Amino acid sequence: MLIASGLALVLIFFIVSGGVAYRNITALRDDNQKIMLSHDVITALDNLLEAAQDAETGQRGYLLTNAERYLAPYYAAKSTIGDRMDEVADLVRDNPKQNTALARLKAHVDAKMAELQQTIDLRRSGNADAALSVVASDRGKAEMDAIRAELASMDLEEAGLRDKRVAEMADSYHSAVLSSVLSALLGIALAARIGYLVRRAAAARQIQEWLQTGQVGLGGKMLGDQTAERLGDAVLSFLARYLGAQAGAVYVGHGDHFQRVSTYGAPADAAIPEQFSRGDGLLGQAAAESRLLLIEDIPDSYLVFGSALGRSKPRHLVIAPARVEGAVNAVVELGFIRPVDDLALKFLELSCEPIAIAVRSANYRSDLQRLLEQTQRQSEELQVQSEELRVNNEELEEQSRALRESQVRLEQQQVELEQNNSQLEAQAQQLEAQRDDLEQANAAIQAKAKEVEQASRYKSDFLANMSHELRTPLNSSLILAKLLADNSHGNLTDEQIKYAKTIQSSGNDLLTLINDILDLSKIEAGHVEIRPQPLSLALLAKAMRQMFQPLAAQKGLIFDVDIAPDCPDTIESDLQRLEQILKNLLSNAFKFTETGTVRLDVARGGEKSIALSVVDTGIGISEEHQRAVFESFRQADGTISRKYGGTGLGLSISRELARLLGGAIRLKSREGEGSTFTLVIPQAYDPLAVQPLAYPQAAAAAPTARRSPEPAQLRKVEDDRDALTNDRRILLVIEDDETFATILRDLSREMGFQPIVAAAAEEALILAKRHMPSAIVLDVGLPDQSGLFVLDRLKRDVSTRHIPIHVVSGSDHAETALSLGAVGYMLKPVNRTDLIDVLKKLENKLSQAMHRVLVVEDDDTQREALGKLLSSHDVETIGVGTAAECLQRLKEQTFDCMVLDLSLPDASGYALLETLSREDAYSFPPVIVYTGRELSADDEQRLRRYSKSIIIKGAKSPERLLDEVTLFLHQVVSALPDERQKMIRQAHNRDAILEGRRILVVEDDVRNVYALTNILEPRGAAIEIARNGREALDRLSRSDPAIDLVLMDVMMPVMDGLTATREIRKAANGRKMPIIALTAKAMPDDQQNCIDAGANDYIAKPLDVEKLLSLVRVWMPR
Amino acid sequence: MSDSIEDIEIRLLLEALYQKYHYDFRSYAFASIKRRLRQAREQLGFATISSMQAGLLHDPAMLPQLIGFLTVQVSEMFRDPSYFRALREKVAPHLRTYPSLKIWIAGCSSGEELYSLVILLREEGLESRTLFYATDINQDALAKAAAGVYSLDRMQVFTENHRKSGGKSSLSDYYRAAYGGASLDKSLRQRVVFSDHSLVTDAAFAEVQLISCRNVLIYFDRDLQDRALGLFRDSLPRRGFLGLGSKESLRFSRHTDAFAEFVREEKIYQKRDI
Repeated sequence: MLIASGLALVLIFFIVSGGVAYRNITALRDDNQKIMLSHDVITALDNLLEAAQDAETGQRGYLLTNAERYLAPYYAAKSTIGDRMDEVADLVRDNPKQNTALARLKAHVDAKMAELQQTIDLRRSGNADAALSVVASDRGKAEMDAIRAELASMDLEEAGLRDKRVAEMADSYHSAVLSSVLSALLGIALAARIGYLVRRAAAARQIQEWLQTGQVGLGGKMLGDQTAERLGDAVLSFLARYLGAQAGAVYVGHGDHFQRVSTYGAPADAAIPEQFSRGDGLLGQAAAESRLLLIEDIPDSYLVFGSALGRSKPRHLVIAPARVEGAVNAVVELGFIRPVDDLALKFLELSCEPIAIAVRSANYRSDLQRLLEQTQRQSEELQVQSEELRVNNEELEEQSRALRESQVRLEQQQVELEQNNSQLEAQAQQLEAQRDDLEQANAAIQAKAKEVEQASRYKSDFLANMSHELRTPLNSSLILAKLLADNSHGNLTDEQIKYAKTIQSSGNDLLTLINDILDLSKIEAGHVEIRPQPLSLALLAKAMRQMFQPLAAQKGLIFDVDIAPDCPDTIESDLQRLEQILKNLLSNAFKFTETGTVRLDVARGGEKSIALSVVDTGIGISEEHQRAVFESFRQADGTISRKYGGTGLGLSISRELARLLGGAIRLKSREGEGSTFTLVIPQAYDPLAVQPLAYPQAAAAAPTARRSPEPAQLRKVEDDRDALTNDRRILLVIEDDETFATILRDLSREMGFQPIVAAAAEEALILAKRHMPSAIVLDVGLPDQSGLFVLDRLKRDVSTRHIPIHVVSGSDHAETALSLGAVGYMLKPVNRTDLIDVLKKLENKLSQAMHRVLVVEDDDTQREALGKLLSSHDVETIGVGTAAECLQRLKEQTFDCMVLDLSLPDASGYALLETLSREDAYSFPPVIVYTGRELSADDEQRLRRYSKSIIIKGAKSPERLLDEVTLFLHQVVSALPDERQKMIRQAHNRDAILEGRRILVVEDDVRNVYALTNILEPRGAAIEIARNGREALDRLSRSDPAIDLVLMDVMMPVMDGLTATREIRKAANGRKMPIIALTAKAMPDDQQNCIDAGANDYIAKPLDVEKLLSLVRVWMPR
Repeated sequence: MSDSIEDIEIRLLLEALYQKYHYDFRSYAFASIKRRLRQAREQLGFATISSMQAGLLHDPAMLPQLIGFLTVQVSEMFRDPSYFRALREKVAPHLRTYPSLKIWIAGCSSGEELYSLVILLREEGLESRTLFYATDINQDALAKAAAGVYSLDRMQVFTENHRKSGGKSSLSDYYRAAYGGASLDKSLRQRVVFSDHSLVTDAAFAEVQLISCRNVLIYFDRDLQDRALGLFRDSLPRRGFLGLGSKESLRFSRHTDAFAEFVREEKIYQKRDI
C-alpha cells in the first residue's frame, strides 16, 4: 500500500517536473524566435533604408547628369522597395505599434518615391530646373529624414523588443536550470524513501516467512499418533532448535494438574519439578493467566542444562502456556543463554494453539487407548466368567450326584489326614535331628579326609625332593668307595678293601631304597607317564628268564617260565613298567624262597586281560598280613626286614604301577607254603580304565582359556586395532614402509575406514583372521614373506577368501596377483589420488549389494523356476544340475546361500554336503535343503548338521523358500562378521579338558542340539546325539568308543530324561557316568528331581554357555 | 488403597502356595482367582480363606484339590470349529513344508484340545512327522489328558464340532465307547509328550512350529500374559504359528510387534522376522 502510494507520488513528481521542463523549453524557443524576428525586422528596415537611399542616389545622379545610366539604382530600388515594405510589414504584423509606425513610414516612402519620380520625370522632360526646384524645395529631404526618423524609431523599437526578449530568455533559462536541479534533488529524496520502504517490506515478509516455516515445521513434528511424551519430546527438540534454546521442559495438564512429560538438554539428575498445579509458581501462574511469561536474567537454581563437559544455567526463560478453546492444557518452558527476541516470543505465541491442539488429541488418543485396553480386559474377564460358568454348570451336575458320597469320604480323609499329619510332623522332626547329626559327622569326616590328603601330599612332595637331595652326595660316596675298593694304588690292606666294599654295597642298598621311595612318590604324585606299546609276551618271558636264571642257580632254586597256549602273542602295555613289576615280584619271590621253585606263569586273566603270576614255595604270608604287604614301608612281619633285608616298598610300587597300567595285583598265600602274586593287566592299555588313586585328587584348576599369541611387537605405525567399533569398516594395511603405511592409514581414516596396519606377512595373516577386515591393501615386498604369499594364503582360507584385496607393489606382479584373486593392482610410486581411487574401488566393491545364490537342482524346469523365483535386482542365481558342477562352482567362487535338492544324478545331496563340510577347498555357504521327499527322522538329523533350514516341496514351499533365502542373504550382511569372529575366538579356545573327549547329548530339540554342538565341538570334544532316553541307553550300552559325559534333556519323547538317568544309574557301567541334566524348569524342587534321579548336576534353560562349559569341565572325568 | 480382609487373605494364600509348592498364581487375574477361591472355600468347608491357607500349608494332599479349583478345566474337542478349520486350511499347508514338526499345546488341561490337534494332523497326513508337547501345571489334568477318557454324552458335541471344523473322517474312528465313557484310541498319544510345565515360572524347552494356547491367558494379569507370550516368542521359529482363544489378543502386549496377524478372526498369529 505504502509502496503503491509512493510509486504514484514518484509518477506524479516526474510528470510535473517534465511539464515544467517542457514549459521552460517552449518559452526559451519562443523567445529565441522572437529575437530572431526582431533581428530580421532590423535587417529588413536596414534594407528598406538602403533601398530608399539607393533610389535617392540614382535620382541625384540622373538629375545632375541627365544620364539615364544613373537611374539604374533608382529603378532597382523602386522595384524592391515595395517588397521590402511588404517584408517589414510581414515581420511586424503582430506588433501594432510597429504597424502604425510602418504605415507612417509607408506614407513617407511613398511620398519620397513620388517626389523622386516627379523630379526624374521633370528632368526627363528637360525641365531640369523644375526638377531642381522640387529638390530644392526640400520636400524630398524632409521625406527622407522622416523615413530615416521612422526607421530609426522602428529600429529602436525592435532593438528594445529584442533586448527585452533576450532578458526574458535569460530568465527562462535560469528558471529551467533551477527547476531541473530542484526536480533532481526531489527525485533523489523520493528514490531514497521508496528504497527504504521496499526494504522494510522485505524484512517484514522474511519475518512472516520464518514464523510460517516454524509453524509448518512444528506442525510436521506433531503429526501422527504420538503419545504425550513423544509429542513433548518432538515439540521441545523442535522449539529448542528453531529458537536456539539450551534447555526446556514440557508439562501437560490434566485438569488443574500439570505433569512433566519431557525435558530437553537437562541432565537426568537436575531438580526439575515433576508436576505443578495451576497458579503454583511461575509455571502455574503462566497456566492460570494463560499468558506468555518472559523472565530476563534469571537467578540461580533454575532449569539446568548439561552436556558431557559440564552444565550451566540459562540466563533467560520463557514460559509459554498452550491454550485451545480457552483452556490451557500444556505449558512449555524454554531456557536461553542469549536474550530472547520479540520474534521468538511471537513465534511461541503463534505456536501455542497448535501445540495445545496436538496435546489435546494426544490426550484423547491415550484415553481412547486406555478405554480400548479396558474393553479388552473386560471382554477377557467376561470370557473367564463364561468359562467359569461352564465349569460351574458341569461341576454342579456332577456334584449333585457325588456330593453326599464325597462328603463322607472327605470327612474320613480329613481325620486320616490329620492323624497322618501329626505323625508326619513328629517323624519330620526326628528326621531333621538325625539329618543335623549326620551333617555334622559328615563335615567332620570331610575335614579329616582333607587333612589326610594334604598330609599325604606333603609327604609325597617331601619324599620326591628329599630323594633327589640324598642321591647327590650318595653318588660321590659310591664313586669314591669304588675307587678305594679297586685299590688301584695297591696301598690298602685286605681289611681296608673289605671296608670300602662294605661302604659301596651299603651305599648301593641306600640308593635302591631312595630310588624306590622316589618311584613311589612319583606314582603317588601322578608324575609317572604310561607309554603303551605292543610287546611280545615271549620276549618278556625270555628277558625275565635271562635276568633271574643266574640268581636261581646261585640259590639252588628251580625257575620255570610258562606261557599258556591261548595267550595272544602280543599285548599292548608299557614294557618298562611291566618289567619293573615282574622284576619286583620275582626278586621278592627269590628273596623269600629258600628251597623249591619259583615260577612265572602267563595266562589269560579274563576276556580281555592277561594274568602274570609269580609263584613261589617260600615262607608265605599269613592272612592278617596279606593286606599290609602292599602298604608302603610295611613287610609281612617287622622282623623280616632284619632277616631278608629290603625296603618294603617294592610291592607298593608294583601295586601302583599295576593300577596305572589299568590292572591290579592279587595275592594268594598261605604261611609256610608259599605265595602267588598275580598281576592282571588289560590286553590293550586303556587310559580310561585306570582307577583313580585311593584318595581323591583335588580338582585341578580349570585351565585358563589360552589367548592367541599377540603378533610380534612390530607395530611401528599406530593404528585403530585397540579401539575398533562396529559402525565402520576395517581396512587392513599390509605395508612395511613406515611412511607409506602412515599415509595409507591417514587416508583410510579420512575415507571412513578403521585402519589396522601390519608390517609383516605373519602378523598380517593373524590380524586378518582375528579382525576380519572388510578390505585389505597389500604390499608385495614384506620383510618376512612375499605379499603374494599372503594373498594366496588369504584367498585359500575359506574364512578370509571373501575379503577384497588390492595389491600395491614396487615391481610388476600384476598378472600373478590378479590371477590369485586380487581385485586390483597398482605399481609404486603412487600418488594420493591413485590411493583414493584404490580405496574408493574397495569401498564400491564392499557396497555392491549383489547377493549370489547357488541353486543345485537336477530338473531343468524346476531349476529355471527357482532361478526366477529367487532372482531380483540384488540377487543373482546360478543354477547347476549335478554335484560335480556344484563343487566346481564352490571351488571357484563364494556364494551367500545355496539351495540344494537332495536327488542329484551323480551323487546324493548328503554326500555332497559331507564333502563340503570335510574339505576346505570349497566355500560352504549356508544351505537350504529343498526336497520333494519326506524325510525320516534319521535323514533329518543327518541333514541338520549342515543345513539350518529344510523345506519339503509343497503348495506353500516357494513362499517359504523365498523367505528363508531372503533371511540368509540379509543375515550374511549383518550377522556373519559376528559369527566369524566367534568362530575365530572358539578356534583359539580349544579346551584341554574337552580335547578328544566324547560327550553324548541327549536332546530332541534341534535348536539346542545345534547350539550344544556349536559350543562343544570347537573346543575339541566329539559330540554324539541321542534324540531320547531310549536312544541314549542304547548308545551307552555300547562302549566303543566310550562316552565320557552325558548332557541329558529332561523333556523328551519316548523316554524322558529323568527315567533315562535312573536307568543309566542302574546299569553297571553307568554308575560313574557323569550326567548333567538340562531342564526348562526353574523351581528348586524340579531341579532337585534331577539330582534325585541320579544326575550329577543340572543346568537350567535357556543355556548359559559359560555355565554349561564350566559344568562340563567340572564333571568331565580326568 | 485398602484391601478387604478377604483380599489380604487371598494374597497370603497365593504367597503360601508359591512358597510351599512352587505354584505361582500370584499374577493371575485377581477377580477370577477370588471367585475360584471362594468356591473352593465353600466346597472344602473352610470358614475363612486363612483357615484354608493353614490347611493347604499343612496338608499337601489339599494341593491337587485346590489346583483343581484354581485352574479352570473346561474344554471341548474342536471347540470353536472355525479355529480348527483355519488351522486345517491356512496353517497346515505351511506346516507341510517342514520335514519334522513340533506342536505345543500350552495349558492342555484334560486334553480335548490336544486330541483335536492330533486328529487334525492325522487327517492332514502330518501326524507321523509331528511331536506334540502337551503341558499343564495341573498334574491331575495331565493324568486325565494322558488317559484320554471322556464321558460319552459329551461325544455328541465333539462329533458335531469335528464335522464343522472340516473333519475328513468320522470322529468315531478315534474312540471306543465303553462303560459310559469314550476312550480315545491309544495310537493318538503315541507322539505326545505330556509334561508338567508352568508358563509362570519355567523356561522355553524346545523350538516348536505351532503353539496352541487357548483360554489360558485370560486367567493371567498383564505382566504374566507378557511373560507367557515371551516364552511363546522364544519357542517359535521365524514364521512359527501361535493360536490363542477367541477373546484373547496380542494387541496390548509387549510382544505385539513380534507377531503378525495370520488369521485375524481366529486369533492365529505368525511370528515376524525380528
